[in-house]
Amino acid sequence: MSFITLENVSMTYGSNGTRTTALSGVSLSIGEGEYAVITGESGSGKSTLLCLLGGLQLPTEGRISISGTDLSTFSADNLAGFRGRTIGFVFQAYHLLPYLTARENVMVPMAIDKKSSREKIERAYTLLESVGLSGKEERLPSQLSGGECQRVAIARALVHDPPILLADEPTGNLDSATGDQILDLFSKLHGAGKTILMVTHNRWNIERGTRSVLLRDGRIAEDNPLRPVHRASRPAVPAQAGG
Amino acid sequence: MNIRKLAWKNLFRRKSRAVFTGLGIFLGIGTFVAISSITMRMEGAVRDKLDKFGANILVTPRTEQLSLGFGDISLGGTQVAHARLTGEDERSIRSIALSDRLRMVVPYFLTAADTSGKNLVWMGIRPKDIVESRPWWKVQGAELSAPGEILLGSEAAVALDKGPGGTVESGGKTFRVAGVLQPTGEKEDGMIIAGLDDVRLLAGSPDGVTFFEVAALCKDCPVEGIVAEIGTKLPGAKVSAIRSVVESRKAAVDQFRRLGFGVSAIVLTIGGLMVFVTIMGNVQERTREIGILRAVGFRKRSIRALLFWETGWIALAASVSGGILGSVAAFAGAPLFGAERGRIEVLPILVGTAIGLALGLLGTLPPSRRAAALSPTEAIRSL
Ligand SMILES: Nc1ncnc2c1ncn2[C@@H]1O[C@H](COP(=O)(O)OP(=O)(O)OP(=O)(O)O)[C@@H](O)[C@H]1O
Ligand SMILES: [Mg+2]
Repeated sequence: MSFITLENVSMTYGSNGTRTTALSGVSLSIGEGEYAVITGESGSGKSTLLCLLGGLQLPTEGRISISGTDLSTFSADNLAGFRGRTIGFVFQAYHLLPYLTARENVMVPMAIDKKSSREKIERAYTLLESVGLSGKEERLPSQLSGGECQRVAIARALVHDPPILLADEPTGNLDSATGDQILDLFSKLHGAGKTILMVTHNRWNIERGTRSVLLRDGRIAEDNPLRPVHRASRPAVPAQAGG
Repeated sequence: MNIRKLAWKNLFRRKSRAVFTGLGIFLGIGTFVAISSITMRMEGAVRDKLDKFGANILVTPRTEQLSLGFGDISLGGTQVAHARLTGEDERSIRSIALSDRLRMVVPYFLTAADTSGKNLVWMGIRPKDIVESRPWWKVQGAELSAPGEILLGSEAAVALDKGPGGTVESGGKTFRVAGVLQPTGEKEDGMIIAGLDDVRLLAGSPDGVTFFEVAALCKDCPVEGIVAEIGTKLPGAKVSAIRSVVESRKAAVDQFRRLGFGVSAIVLTIGGLMVFVTIMGNVQERTREIGILRAVGFRKRSIRALLFWETGWIALAASVSGGILGSVAAFAGAPLFGAERGRIEVLPILVGTAIGLALGLLGTLPPSRRAAALSPTEAIRSL
């Protein structure tokens, strides 16, 4: 059964005078445990697709559902709650809050949770350890390297243990060696059962996925399975390979 | 980490902005507290001054034919001698339940007597009462200090052609002129002022009182109550409040209060607008941050709560510190405004803090709505 479904989704920005159609008639079905790598030229609608999937905005046409729930049935606040539980976002520019330490940044999504601060802190430590940042918990983003910042952002995306990770060019700001390490991390998470949709410019990264989707002018130009998906399969590329 | 702490962190990160946001409230509340403290003190000062100024209640014999406004007194020879009030009545007046509000109870005795060949009115008053009941008298020469001494009203002095050190004859006795009153514009200008007992003796009415002047301390102005009480104690007397005194006093104090409120209202409005403008700018500046928070699952109301906590902290700090500053300024400045001694008034600080908080939160209302309405995608894209 497909986990994420887009049916005939279109997205148009702006009003009459300055209309831009970012996506038109996109239908896509992604199964649980897939690792879809989305590529395409600049302006082809990749980020728009991720924003729609994450419920950050609603499509002008079509239907998006995640594990059977139509996103358009949510109120804005419920959608935010759903997003917090179900989806982890990772951005190219990390989007950490500069005035918070690594640990505090990881704790931000938990700010609205009714957990004790002790639990929250422990969760943050665990996550930072899992992305390889032990000992750097109290550093500010300005005191971390780009790769380390992206690890913090990934840890933050994992706070509520969401089944889906959406990553928009997570290695775009990093050199290739550092980028590889981040991709290793994603592979590891995929191996642990996460469904991942990653936008990338780098053709080499495509091999990491189980599926490759090419967008062109807001439409799906190519959609190729790369290898079969095994739920909670072993990582195709060993997690420590690049490290 | 919770929203409160996140707000707190944010404040420390943008210290200068926080300070600027708070400045409006700080100055507004500071001014409000300073003005209201000073007005309170001034109100007190104005009140005290007005209270010191003469009497506000007059006690006269009900059956007395005389009109006793001094002015219209037509004291025909010995006719006045049978005043129905006596020295005993002073004790009755002083025994009312509201007696702690009585600043003074002054008995007067008036009589007309032949004085060195001229028919003049004598006013008897206890010398020690003069200071309180006629504080505006200016005496050229000496005050009354011993029996047998008199003061001459300015016109009486001219009529008798006497000055300090001179003597006059009346009722077979010789009185020494201690001093002469400078013109007051009142009827006492034509009178002779002497000790109460001297005048009583002259009229052959040893315990007589023509009228009492009573001054009530007008804190909450229980004049009506005092009038009623004295009336019960002295059924034979006519007790009346001197309206003009009471009313003009109230008017002066009220005017003060209105001025204070007016200025405070203006200052507070400006403070509220400053909060609104700075928070609005703040939201614009933080579009991206708000987008990130929305992306990680913050609901609209969490965003609103975040902004409210931020301004809440600022407003609290600003209004408390503004309140303290205002109080200190009022304390130091009170003497300049006629209050004798400054005092820290607690009420304005409490009211000021409450208003400051309310202003801060009110000023945050529109920006927080705006922030919550921001689309997270546009926020994230605005790089
Ligand atoms: N908020 C917006 N308002 C108007 N047009 C927009 C908006 N966001 C995106 N677009 C337009 O929609 C189209 C798709 O944008 P999108 O950001 O999805 O492309 P992309 O594939 O992510 O590009 P890139 O590789 O450069 O990140 C572009 O033509 C862009 O100009
Ligand atoms: Mg993009």
